[in-house]
Amino acid sequence: MCSSCGFPAAPGHWTEAGTDTPHDRLRARFRRAQVLQSILPAYGLTAHDGAQVPGIQLGTLSGNNTIVRDLEEVWAEAERLCGAAIDPLDPRIVGDDV
Amino acid sequence: MAAGSEASDPSDKRMRLTVLGGFLGSGKTTWLRHQLHDGALSDAFVIVNEAAETAVDDALLGRSAELAVLAGGCACCDGRDGLIALLRTVCDRRVSRAAGQAALDRIVLETSGLADPAPIVEAIRADPMLVHHIVIAEIVVAVDGVYGLRHIREEALGRRQMELADRLVVTKVDQADPAELARLLATLRRINPGATLSGAVKGTEAALPEHAGAVPETWADPGDAAGSAPIRALKVDIGDDVDWTAFSVWLSALIHARGDDILRVKGVMRTPAGRLLLQSVRRIVQSPEILPDGAAEAGSRENSLVFIGRGFTEAALIRSLRHFAGLTR
Repeated sequence: MCSSCGFPAAPGHWTEAGTDTPHDRLRARFRRAQVLQSILPAYGLTAHDGAQVPGIQLGTLSGNNTIVRDLEEVWAEAERLCGAAIDPLDPRIVGDDV
Repeated sequence: MAAGSEASDPSDKRMRLTVLGGFLGSGKTTWLRHQLHDGALSDAFVIVNEAAETAVDDALLGRSAELAVLAGGCACCDGRDGLIALLRTVCDRRVSRAAGQAALDRIVLETSGLADPAPIVEAIRADPMLVHHIVIAEIVVAVDGVYGLRHIREEALGRRQMELADRLVVTKVDQADPAELARLLATLRRINPGATLSGAVKGTEAALPEHAGAVPETWADPGDAAGSAPIRALKVDIGDDVDWTAFSVWLSALIHARGDDILRVKGVMRTPAGRLLLQSVRRIVQSPEILPDGAAEAGSRENSLVFIGRGFTEAALIRSLRHFAGLTR
């Protein structure tokens, strides 16, 4: 555990399963950041994970920044930052299929 | 046998917890007693939870290797702290065992008939110590072969227990009317299509009748009056072009937003590390397990998941997922 930031406090989040090697883990982090970067701008948010520090950095366009541990915290924090619910089954995403 | 209960990663040294639930009088203890007698679970540490102050079931379960009773509080609510404390003690005892003593690798928790398994699973996953020592292997729910339909009609808790099961054991098969039993089986298939179904008579495995033509029971859900949709189970083929990381980002967002409506997600995903068994109970996703390659069972196709819940369609799920993964339809 890093004594400064407390990471990691628990065994890896379930979304971090499925990677065995450091190479795969790094690639998964970059891919995760890429997916978040494609989804969050619609809510006025930015995401960054340069794999230099633990966690995922979230920010608003007004410069409010925070660092979260895993995807579970990403969604809770993103909703707090943008002040609205983030629902993957939002009709704007899925059309009239719900 | 539910996928993952046996075919797990051998390098995972955590104890495997089987949660045995079922409505009052559904035959949990009888079934467990037979499993202990038969040897299938004879090496397990057994925890019996009873909501009443006076425990009775422990007297019936004399054959287990070790047994503890949690009386006077249901483990999903009042007795949760007691359960966590007891499980921690079991973990301590396991690591301090002398060499040569039989290893303790399996725990069976028989819940009270009034327990909802979901908060129990959640409490174990949320405990910083237990999460390193215990993995939930299976949720087995006993269903009363005689009164099961009545429980489904009248008891929301009874239905909730059935929805969350990996394995449904229909008890008292010999005493049930065959037509009613077929109807019960068809109803169970509708309530929880992902679970394996088996029959039992006094704990011994018994054949179940054919139920393909039976009409499932209907019930008035108090939730329906408030406008909520009925619970459905959908099998969703993810497709091979969606990668695991994009899928995990999407599923974490979906469970965060719709955790009250998505009761269960189960399935096998292909990841860089191999085939991953994924299971969730409401907002709790159990630590995924890597399945050995080549142990593919029928019904555990890769990148195919069962979603049980309300308020979504297969098309909506797939469109949403493909949007997250950056793929156009």
